[in-house]
Amino acid sequence: MLKFIGSRLLVLPLLLLLLSALIFALLYVLPGDPARIMAGEYASAETVDRIRVQMGFDRHPVIQYLTYVRDVLQGEWGRSYQSNRLVLEDIKQVFPKTIKITLVAEIMSIILGVSFGVLAAVRRNSWIDRSLMTVSVLSLSMPLFWLALLLQLLFAMRLGWLPPSGSGDLFSRYIILPALTLAIPSSGYLARITRAAMLDTQQADYVLTARSKGLREFSVITKHMLPNAWLPIISVIGVDLARLLAGVAIIEVIYAWPGLGKYAFDALAHRDFPALQASLNVLAAAVLFVNLGSDVLYGLADPRVRAEENA
Amino acid sequence: MMLGGVGNGDVGRISVIVSLWRSKSAAISMVFIVVLAVIGLLAPVIAPKDPTEIEIFREVNGETINPPFPPSGQNWFGTDQLGRDIFSRVLYAIRTSLVIGLLVRGGVMIVGVCLGLIAGYLPGVVAKATMRLTDVMLAFPALIIAMAVTAILGPSLSTVIIALVLVGWPDVTRLVYGQTLGIRASDYVVAARALGANNFRIIARHILPNIASPIIVAFSMGIPGAIMYEAGLSFFGFGIQPPMPSLGLIISDGRGYMTVAPWYTIFPGLTLVAIVLAFNFLGEGLIDVLDPRSK
Repeated sequence: MLKFIGSRLLVLPLLLLLLSALIFALLYVLPGDPARIMAGEYASAETVDRIRVQMGFDRHPVIQYLTYVRDVLQGEWGRSYQSNRLVLEDIKQVFPKTIKITLVAEIMSIILGVSFGVLAAVRRNSWIDRSLMTVSVLSLSMPLFWLALLLQLLFAMRLGWLPPSGSGDLFSRYIILPALTLAIPSSGYLARITRAAMLDTQQADYVLTARSKGLREFSVITKHMLPNAWLPIISVIGVDLARLLAGVAIIEVIYAWPGLGKYAFDALAHRDFPALQASLNVLAAAVLFVNLGSDVLYGLADPRVRAEENA
Repeated sequence: MMLGGVGNGDVGRISVIVSLWRSKSAAISMVFIVVLAVIGLLAPVIAPKDPTEIEIFREVNGETINPPFPPSGQNWFGTDQLGRDIFSRVLYAIRTSLVIGLLVRGGVMIVGVCLGLIAGYLPGVVAKATMRLTDVMLAFPALIIAMAVTAILGPSLSTVIIALVLVGWPDVTRLVYGQTLGIRASDYVVAARALGANNFRIIARHILPNIASPIIVAFSMGIPGAIMYEAGLSFFGFGIQPPMPSLGLIISDGRGYMTVAPWYTIFPGLTLVAIVLAFNFLGEGLIDVLDPRSK
């Protein structure tokens, strides 16, 4: 197991390096003059030149990138071009907000998805099963931004139950609507996975044995089927967290939740490249860490994976 | 996983359509997609109104009212703040959605399949490097990266397609890599190599036809995602630019009128959901017909 985790940990720095290089290439090597883009359409040639020198765009891209990596490792993440604040300080402030909303959404998604999935499996082919699966397909076929607008319209503007946007403490009403919106598509996905995993255990010998022993249906489901259905569910939760992190920016922008996704979006809107570069790196690195974590978790949960990795 | 190509390659094009037709949801979605395509092609003919025609006031029961007008027999989806017919605007926007969906997914498949075949066929450094690249690419927040690409290149139809292909290929590469790896060691590939076939011939004649089913499924299953991404890009102002029609743009315009004119946001969104659902059902139908073992 240690060897398995070790090999994953060894690759991680390489992946992070590749990631930062790709983002660097995206922002500074793609056709288009970053100094001109940052200065804006109507800036004078002197302003553009000043930015070019100030940001070091006049140097060779490879030198620029290596300097960037060195600076980042030393904790020098640069200053926001928009606010002139230290990017690292900004990120320290906004990133926890994103972690918070992602985790709350993941918990909501697991609770909703697993319970709907189990319910659908237990009552399979009934109207409950069919309507739950229809809702799950629907939830996966909606653009997230549109779902956010609809829920905002319904719960905030029409019913007035929840604030339409903004943020507060963890246990405030502000987090409910954005986290729920983020959780809906993933709970739809989890419900389908859970249902399939539960149905797979239905035919297993231990379930037949449990039934023939005369165990109550509730015990069969909770003690024998669900524990064995957990494996595929766990493997999906990692993927799911990564997906939530990809969608979180949309939610943060629409609900004005001051997290990393909104920070990245605002940086992009203002062509604030240092802030954008840092936030993209952190967002993608977070996904890599989540992937690593879910690989390890999966390895811990399933001895067969460990054996394969060691072979 | 596919265990070789027996059976899959034998399914002719016509019999695929016949089998699809037998599945109710796939048949309905096929009809719906054909209808959508016709709407997209013939939007100028079908649209009940000119999508740019402005109507700044209307007399109702002797009273003068201003737009946005609610849905009525005259304007099925209501009008926007300038009195333009939303139904007609949506019909025009469907064309953009379909074009983007097909072109983006087509581009993604070309890039993704080529890289996947190369990585799967040439294990070692090439495969490792390609797969690590997909790991990293899949970790990116795709929508923001796509926004950054269009922002830098200047948002337009072609840069939206470039941006979405750029963020879309890693999934397909992963799929094709796995499939190729499985087939590379199969008896008929070994036999072909023993008979002196070169690499290109082996890939083109023996590997590609045997992984055609999952590729076709992936093509169709990826179209709705591309359509939703375009809508998202356009919604946030980094995609299609006016006056070109886009469902994302209409929803974005409607956002400011959500409380007074909810139809402005809701109908274009429902249209988007209907398009996405149709492609999803078609994709599921294709899985049943072409690649039942993957279920």
